[in-house]
Order: sequence, then C-alpha cells, then structure tokens
Amino acid sequence: MATAAGVACEAEIVRITVDGLEYRLHAGPSLLAALDQIGVLMGEVDIPHYCWHAKLSSDGSCRLCQVEIDGQTGLQTACNTPVRDGMIVHTRSEAVVRARQTVLEFLMLNHPLDCPVCDQAGECKLQDYAWRYGAPNSRSREPRRKLEKRIDLGPGVVLDRERCILCRRCVRFCREIPRTGELAVFGRGDRSVIGLFPGVQLDNAYSMNVVDLCPVGALTSRDFRCKARAWQLESVEGVCGGCARGCNIWLDVAKGEVQRYRPRRNDAVNDTWMCDAGRLSYAEIARSDRLDKAWIRNQESVLEPVSVASAISEAARMLAGLVAEKGAGVIAGIASPHATNEDLFAFKRLLDEIGTENSGLAVPHGEADELLICAEKAANATGARAIGFEDARSLLERIRGGGVDGIVILGHDILTAGYLDDETLLGKIDSVILIDTHQSSLMRVAQVVLPARHLAEKAGTLTNCDRRVQRVRPALAADSELLTEGEIVHRLALALGLNGFEAGYDLPRVSRSLAAAVPPFAGITIESLPSDGAQLVSDGGEKGAVR
Amino acid sequence: MQKAPHVTDYLTRHCADDEYGCLRGFEAQGGYRAAHTALREMTPQKILDEVRQAGLQGRGGAGFCAGLKWSFMPAPEQQPSYLVCNADESEPGSFKDRLLLERAPHQLLEGILLAARAIGAQKSFIYIRGEYAEAARVMQRAVDEAHAKGYLGDDVMGSGFSHDVVVVRGAGSYICGEETALLESLEGKRGHPRVKPPFPAQRGAFDRPSTVNNVETLCHVPHIIGRGAAWFRSTGTEKSPGTTLFGVSGHVVRPGLFELPLGTPLDEIIFEHAGGVADGRKVKGVIPGGLSMPILPAGELDVAMANEFLQEKGSALGTGGIIVMDDRTCMVRTACVISEFYRAESCGQCGPCREGTAWINDIVTRVERGTGTAEDLELLVDICDGMEGQTICAFADAAAWPVRALLKHFYADFERHVREGVCSFSGSFQL
Repeated sequence: MATAAGVACEAEIVRITVDGLEYRLHAGPSLLAALDQIGVLMGEVDIPHYCWHAKLSSDGSCRLCQVEIDGQTGLQTACNTPVRDGMIVHTRSEAVVRARQTVLEFLMLNHPLDCPVCDQAGECKLQDYAWRYGAPNSRSREPRRKLEKRIDLGPGVVLDRERCILCRRCVRFCREIPRTGELAVFGRGDRSVIGLFPGVQLDNAYSMNVVDLCPVGALTSRDFRCKARAWQLESVEGVCGGCARGCNIWLDVAKGEVQRYRPRRNDAVNDTWMCDAGRLSYAEIARSDRLDKAWIRNQESVLEPVSVASAISEAARMLAGLVAEKGAGVIAGIASPHATNEDLFAFKRLLDEIGTENSGLAVPHGEADELLICAEKAANATGARAIGFEDARSLLERIRGGGVDGIVILGHDILTAGYLDDETLLGKIDSVILIDTHQSSLMRVAQVVLPARHLAEKAGTLTNCDRRVQRVRPALAADSELLTEGEIVHRLALALGLNGFEAGYDLPRVSRSLAAAVPPFAGITIESLPSDGAQLVSDGGEKGAVR
Repeated sequence: MQKAPHVTDYLTRHCADDEYGCLRGFEAQGGYRAAHTALREMTPQKILDEVRQAGLQGRGGAGFCAGLKWSFMPAPEQQPSYLVCNADESEPGSFKDRLLLERAPHQLLEGILLAARAIGAQKSFIYIRGEYAEAARVMQRAVDEAHAKGYLGDDVMGSGFSHDVVVVRGAGSYICGEETALLESLEGKRGHPRVKPPFPAQRGAFDRPSTVNNVETLCHVPHIIGRGAAWFRSTGTEKSPGTTLFGVSGHVVRPGLFELPLGTPLDEIIFEHAGGVADGRKVKGVIPGGLSMPILPAGELDVAMANEFLQEKGSALGTGGIIVMDDRTCMVRTACVISEFYRAESCGQCGPCREGTAWINDIVTRVERGTGTAEDLELLVDICDGMEGQTICAFADAAAWPVRALLKHFYADFERHVREGVCSFSGSFQL
C-alpha cells in the first residue's frame, strides 16, 4: 500500500524535544508522521490537524498543525516539516495558540453550526478543536454561505457541502487507496466544493472510508445517518468476519444493538481502512433469520422448539447410540471457518475424543482485490486449517458412500461454499446435529438445531489470511440460551461422558490448551494477546489461505 | 500595423519592427550571436557564472537572483531536467511579457537556449497564459522557425547541445503564475501551489529538477552573455542592475511600457515618461509593481524603482506594473476591486486564504456601501495578520498587502465611509 507516512524506514534515530519532553524518533518523515510512528501524536503530544492523515499523502493546506521550532522564523506546519536531530518544538506557545485560533475562525466563518442535527456531533474534529483551541466568539457579521445539504455521492455516502472544510482527505483517499479517483475539488477560492467527476458515483469497494476520514460532518454514512448519537455509542474492539483479512474494527453499540462497524487502526492488517461490504455486515447480527432457540425434530418429523439443554441431551443420545451400535467411525463433523480458534479447538477435541477422523471444512469464496478484500469469505479459515480441519470434499465422498450416520455441522458454509447444491445429500444421514448462528435450508434435514452466538456476542481469537491471531470481545450481551459453538460442543462432550472435558466451560483454559496442543499456537493465548494481534509461530504444514 | 510601443533600450529597441519578430529580422539585428558563441565556446558553468555576476534579478515579481536560482539545479543525469518559462503574465497592471512574447519571440528563445545550456535542461516549456492567444501563436511560429534553422532540436548550431521547446497554453488562472501551481497545471493537473520543500530544482515539472524563469528574465540573458556582466551592471543600481519594462496604467496621459534602468525614480516615470495626470488633477496613490504590491501615497513618489528602495517604503518592485490613481479615486472602492480579484482567484487550497480573501471582500464591500463600522476596519487588519505567511504560497500575502496598505495610507477614506454611511466619491460607481 502506498502511504506517505506508514513506511517503515531504516533512517537514523534522532532526538527532538516537544514542549520540553524528549522523543527518539526516525529522521526524515514529517514531524506529524514521526510522532505518529512512535504513537504519541494526539496523546502526549497534541498537534491538531485536519488535512494530514497517517495513511494519506501530505497536503499542507488546513494550516492547523502549525508549531514553533527554535531557530526558524515564523510558524511551521508539522505535517511537512521534516524531523531533524536536536529540533526543539513548541506546540503551546502564544504564537501557536493564536495561529490555531485564527485558522479555526476562518474555517468556522461559513460552517452552518448545525451540530444538533449533524451525525458527526460528538466525534467532530471541528467541534472538538473549536472547543479546545478556538476563540469563544466569531467576529464575522457576514451571512454564511448557503450550499447543498444533501448530495448522494454513491450508495453509501452523503455529502453536505456547507459543513465541508475542504481538507481533501476524501479526494486523496479515492486517488491513493482504491485508486479510483471519483472525487475532486471543483471551483476556486471560496466557491470550492467537493464533488464527483461527471458520470461517476462514489461506489468503489472502500467508499465509506471517506466517512471516517472526514473530520467534520460533511461526509456521512447513508447507513448510519440519524441512527444514533456519537455519545450514546459504546465502542468495543473486534475483528470483521467478512473475509480472511480480519480487518480490525470498532463495534459501536447503542440500545443493545450494534449500530455500525468502523475500522480500527492496525498497520499490520488494515491500516485504517475496511471495505464497505465488511462495514455493512454488522446487519447480519440482528437479522430476522438469526437462530435464537434450539429445535428438535419430533415424532411427526416436525421441528419443535426446546431448551438448549434438552437439545444437547438429545444430540448426545443420538451420537452415543450410533457409536454404541456402529462405532465412532460413522460419526463426522464439519467445521465452520467463521468460528473462533477456541470454538474450533473444542470441536476438534470433541471429534478426537469420540474417536472419529471424519471431519471437513468448507470455506466460501468470492471476489478478491489487491487491497484488503480476500477471496475466502470467512474470518478464520486459516485458524481452522491450523487446528487440523481439512477440506470437506473427501468427507462428502465418504457421506456419498454411505459411511456416515451421524454428523455435527457448525454453520452452513457447506452450502454457501458451493460444495453442495442443496441439503439432499445430508438428508441421507440419520442424525444431523446443526449448530449455527442463522437459519438455513440445512434445518430441513437436521434432527437437532442449536443456536450459536455471533462473533459480536463472544470472546475468542481468529487467525487471518496472514496467519495473524487477533482477538474479539463481546460487544453485545447474548441471551443465556445462546452459547458459543465451543461451549455447545463442550456440553455435548460432557453429556457424552468424554475424557478430558472439565465441568465448566472456561475460555481462557481452552485457549491455553490450544496453545499447548497445536504447535502454531504455541505461546498465543487469549489473555496474552496484544490488541493488534500476534503471528502464528510457524507454518504448521497446512496450506496458507487464498488471499 | 499596431502603434509602435514606446521603447528606450536593448530589450525593446526593435520591438516596433515587424521583421524583428521573424528569425531573419532578429538575426539582422545581431540576434542569436550570443547563442552561437556561447553554445560553442562557453561551458555551462561559464554561462551561469556570467549571469550570476551580472546580478540579474528575476523579473516575475519576487526579484530572486536568476544566476543563484540556476545554481540550485543538480548536475545533469540520464533523466531529463527542465527549464520552464513562466509566460503566465496575469498580475493586474502588468503587460510587459506580452510585448516581449509578441514582438521579440526569438529574443526569448535565445535566452531560453542559454539558460537551458547553463542549467543542463534537455527541454523547455513556455507556459503562456490562456488569454495570450496571439503570443502563443507567435511563439509557436518562432519555435518552428528555429527548429527549421537548426537553432532548436538535435545539435543546436552545431554545438552538440540538443534542446527542444514546447509551447503550452494555460487555461486562464491567476494562481498558475505561481511557479509550483504553474508546474501542476503544466502536468495537466489543477493549478494548486505545491508545498515546499521540495523546491522545483529538486522536484519540479514531471518530478524532475526544473527551473522556472519569467519571460523578461530570460530575455535579458542573451544581452548579458553577448556583452558581459560588467556591461549589464553599467545600468540600473548596484543591487538591481539592468533595465526593466515599467508598465504604466491608470490615470496618466500616456499609459504604456517604458524600458528604463532599474532605480529610475517613480515620479520621473509617471510625470515625464507617462506624461503625468490629466486635467490638472493630482496623484492620490500609486501601486508600484502590480496589484499585489502595497500602494504608495502621493507623498512618497520620489522613490527609486528598485527593490532595495521600495522596500524601505513598505512596498516592492513586483512586476513593475505601475497603477496610478488620481485624486478622484475612492480608496475603499479600490479595496473592493482588489479584494474581489483575490477572492475570485484564490485557488481555495488553504483555509486562511480561501476564507480570508472572501471575508475581506465582504467587509470592504459593506464599508463601501456604507454599512461598515469602526470595528470592521480593525478586523480587516486582523484578518490580514491571519493570512500573511500562513499559507502554502504567497497568494494570501499578495491579497492582504494591498488592503493593509490602503488602510494604512488612506484610513481617512475608510473612516469617512463608516461615519457618513455612504460613499461620497462622485467617481465611485455602484457596486
């Protein structure tokens, strides 16, 4: 990815002083980029900025990041002043304070101040900086500029030209990241506006990142528009489950529901971006086809709702009967690439303890690109392979041959991955136990259906296409009847009286067992995992994911 | 035939002669002799040194020493480097380059050849302001003539030096006269000034080292090379040698271009060369160097027209475009016109300039219409403070200086508008 600031450079380490504190950083890049690289920008060092962004080229036009540097006349913009050894920088001097006030006064001259109805309010840099650095009053008596308030730029993004401060982050993003260049500035001087080139829409696969980039409320998400106020949202760290990239995200929750996904910066995975499809995939959490109760097929061959405990007992009864009658070799399991490493490890142990080697993995595939979007449309296919699940095709052959009489299926990827046209083949199996988050036609052939938690409702780890293990945390409190796949198979194992399953399901313990039992996971436990993840130890011999 | 322009010295002596515009006529007056000699007998460094010793100041507005600018260019490599001739003359009050382009195209080409040789540029671009259609046509014809004669192209004049010149037309934007905006426009992009560093000599046109020189600057070069730095220094002042083309416009009897030594007193230019102000009226104020330069009041016209003297008066030579205003002029109205120009031409990139130019224009317009207040006048100065030196290029400075100077020297005009609630200048027309 071509980024101005994110390039790891071999440059010499220099010492600079900012407001009396000394920092050691790389020479060469701009002051803002260098401070960003060591993670102190907007933390310890507060240099407000609009046009500069760590992952975009430098623009230098907003003029807000001016600082005073000893030995240099006038103020310098921190976004394009290269770091030099011994530099002494002041970010709070009188001249800097005055310059910020002036810049903000200019930017506020024509801003509509419609914060009460603006989606950005509460997470708006114009609001924040005006509050923190601006003068209390505007001295302008002139009427504010009137411009279009709602322009649909594309399927995901709406533009309000009055709120725009023309930082051009959106323009640079479209040119530099997806390289589609739909946006430009049109007009000159105070008639400058952001707009689309004639005949195009802002419809690239990453278009909605401009909403995150926009420091003000000029670009808003059509999906999120008017849904919640920023201060009502609670943000939880998570990972997008849409594809094998595992983009780091924030799950913003309000009123007991996930209101949106936003990319969370991880320079080793997704920088600060995510694709639109992933961003909008939060909708599946509360979709009407979510499985929320357990079902057992009754005497009349009709599914009837039961408690999760009864469904697990029934499943255990079926499996135990088959093992007793025909041996463990007739039992099989299909893993889901959407499940967490811990879920999959618990499932693998269940199958191992039952004593069957019949298992498989089905991974749905789709379009990929060179930026983030991977062909594997699930978050943890790499993890599933590392834990020992192999492609389900040979298992399906065995089923066709009539060698399987009982099967536990996680998810319905076997259908979406295109391995089966429909559920007919699985209907030939006596006992089908389905554990899934959403309804599917597999329910037609299932004897027992167990509802599982969505990624947003549980803790665990996922292994992305680059073998990076990343953590998810529960953003939503799930119903007590809703368990993780790991806990369901754990209870199933207990009901079956299998060895090595202790009474209560304890995620950290499962994680430690995984680290101990599966070599690539050595040293990686959910409790020790940093928030930006960790790489699998070695190439455990399994094939890498298709990117 | 056009009326012959008023001429005095070497740059414009033959500009009235139609033949001078074609290669034969130019050579008949000694044209290309300096190039013939220099390309064969002088090293690039020698050419550069001569121009540097001559002390030639850039004539595009900033007055930076041309030889010094050339010396910033890195040693030639495999990849090309460029010379860019800034012919985007758009500073209001300036019309000197137009004459040089239309009437003496080969003089410019000879200057380009010598400058390109000095800096090791493989190709030159002449970026001509869009409105200068005739100038572009004349330049292209001259380039074609020079090519046919072997004065451009491979092995120029048998010297082993190869050079091409491309004539490019702008699309009509004041900011494209700013050298980095010009480079952007040359590359086919929106004319936005670049953040410096990198400077053009490091990364200019098409990411290659480039030098941008004004038309008139390059036109001086053949004369310096032909007759030597010492000869060049024999006119003008010690710090500002040579002649320049003063363009006089406004309330004078004989507006026009006057080639005179740098350092010629402003009052001499106005009252002797331009014939003074008509009908016995008096001068009220004079903008000495194109619209961006701070205005001088009537009492300060005894200044020598060279940067070192004008700067003492708080102004500068700029492009040498002298705008004379007589005692009927409403200086608030003048501020309106000036600020409207800068509002229209700000590229809109930097917040302080984009918003500041509009704000100034709004306030000044209100003052002119009679609804201004005393606080407005203080605010104007504050806005100028917030713009000057706060942006990527010098446009914001250029927009703020004239307003600040008008307020400084003609505060009474502004005060009167505020007090009387109306513009009482009879000559002032409805906004």
